[in-house]
Amino acid sequence: MADLTYEDLVSILVEKFAVQPELIRPGITFGDLEIDSLFLVELLLVVEREVQAAIPDDAISAQDTLERAVDIVREQVTAAGTR
Amino acid sequence: MSAPGVQPDIAVTGIGLVTSAGIGVQASWEGVCAGVSTARRDPNLAGLPVDISCTVPGFDPVRHVGRRSRLVHDRFVQLAVTAAREAVADAGLDPHTWDGARVGVVIGCGVGGTATSEAQLRSSLRDGPRAVSALLIPMMVPNMVAGHLGIELRATGPNLVTATACASGATAIGTAMQLLTDASCDVVVAGGAEAAVTPLIVTGFAQMGALSANTGDPAAASRPFDAGRDGFVIAEGSGILILERAADARARQARVRATIAGFGASADAYHMTTPDPDGKGARQALLAALARAGVGPDEVDHVNAHGTSTPLNDAAEGRMLRAVLGDRAAVTSTKGVVGHALGAAGAIEAAFTVLALQTGTIPPTANLQALDPGIDLDVVAKEPRHWPIEVAVSNSFGFGGQNAVLVLTRA
Repeated sequence: MADLTYEDLVSILVEKFAVQPELIRPGITFGDLEIDSLFLVELLLVVEREVQAAIPDDAISAQDTLERAVDIVREQVTAAGTR
Repeated sequence: MSAPGVQPDIAVTGIGLVTSAGIGVQASWEGVCAGVSTARRDPNLAGLPVDISCTVPGFDPVRHVGRRSRLVHDRFVQLAVTAAREAVADAGLDPHTWDGARVGVVIGCGVGGTATSEAQLRSSLRDGPRAVSALLIPMMVPNMVAGHLGIELRATGPNLVTATACASGATAIGTAMQLLTDASCDVVVAGGAEAAVTPLIVTGFAQMGALSANTGDPAAASRPFDAGRDGFVIAEGSGILILERAADARARQARVRATIAGFGASADAYHMTTPDPDGKGARQALLAALARAGVGPDEVDHVNAHGTSTPLNDAAEGRMLRAVLGDRAAVTSTKGVVGHALGAAGAIEAAFTVLALQTGTIPPTANLQALDPGIDLDVVAKEPRHWPIEVAVSNSFGFGGQNAVLVLTRA
């Protein structure tokens, strides 16, 4: 298992989801980046492969900010490690 | 030309094309009139028994469609969006101001997002089910091409995809005519889209013996009606037509490129892939289309044939055309230049037929050097023919014995 840093998330958003880099900041929500629920499912599949831990499909919503998402992933990875 | 008060004529007010001859109507038409095949060796097919195709040169989804296109669109949708934007602009229409509820979308597609399916199957076999994209299904289902065009064009009227194999594009145009005739729509975005030049699909067609095996000389492989033909060359592309009732088009002072006067459809009910050798089903569709148009067989000036370059199709189609139309019409197959784009072919060829009517120019059949002695038709070869055309026919026949014939007339 590995951690997901904010920078990792940014590079996934830019490279795999064609988000414009100039829009990205820690406090912006996925919804504001036009990442809807279907894209979020796809994003979590990509993140799962990065961190090599299962993350529930509903762990992150479009209203969450990027920094909150990084925290949620960290919590999930930690929880998976202690199970 | 239809009897007044019976069924309205349908005007073509815009066209859009993305073909192996180029992106856009002008590049496609110039390419097809030059009469030189666009078939090439295809690096994506390396190592396969047939490794040649007609693909769209220089197509960039980000530039031609949008930043996020690669994430959400299979290539068949990307080609359709590009052609549809050109067609709507060509018609002088604006999706921001039209009444979207009165705009329908009918697109023919024979295969769908097979490139996406094949890539996802490889991922899942390699890395397991969690490697499968959540976007697999919305990217690969064939109806999504009409769905995406509805979103793109704010068109909320009837929205569907027709699947009659290689006749799909012509079936879509015929279906669109009906939606206009019965006043379900005021405008229909009609056409076809296909991007199935993938290792699996090409191998499947090769295993059937449908493809030309002349891989040593790709540019000579597609040779409709030629004595030396041995199969088709697979292609990708999209053709989109904007259709309106002719009276409506006149009322908004639109430029009418041509009129779709007739459509006929039929089934061979003979064999799943072999055409009826007597062309009975094709003849029935042609006669129905002529009857709907109110024109006689002896009035047809030009035929854009299905002309796939397979031995069986061209022989059966050639006999059928000679029997129904005689030898007066100047026949061409534009598949010599742009190959066979399957579900998009009928729409691409309808657009070429519109341009032939409008310009009085019939593109030559590429690679036609020695006409098959069994085909007694005036097939245009080598050079474009400048020829006044009032009435033209565009034939499309699909595996499954599904036939769709359009009759177009000069505006």
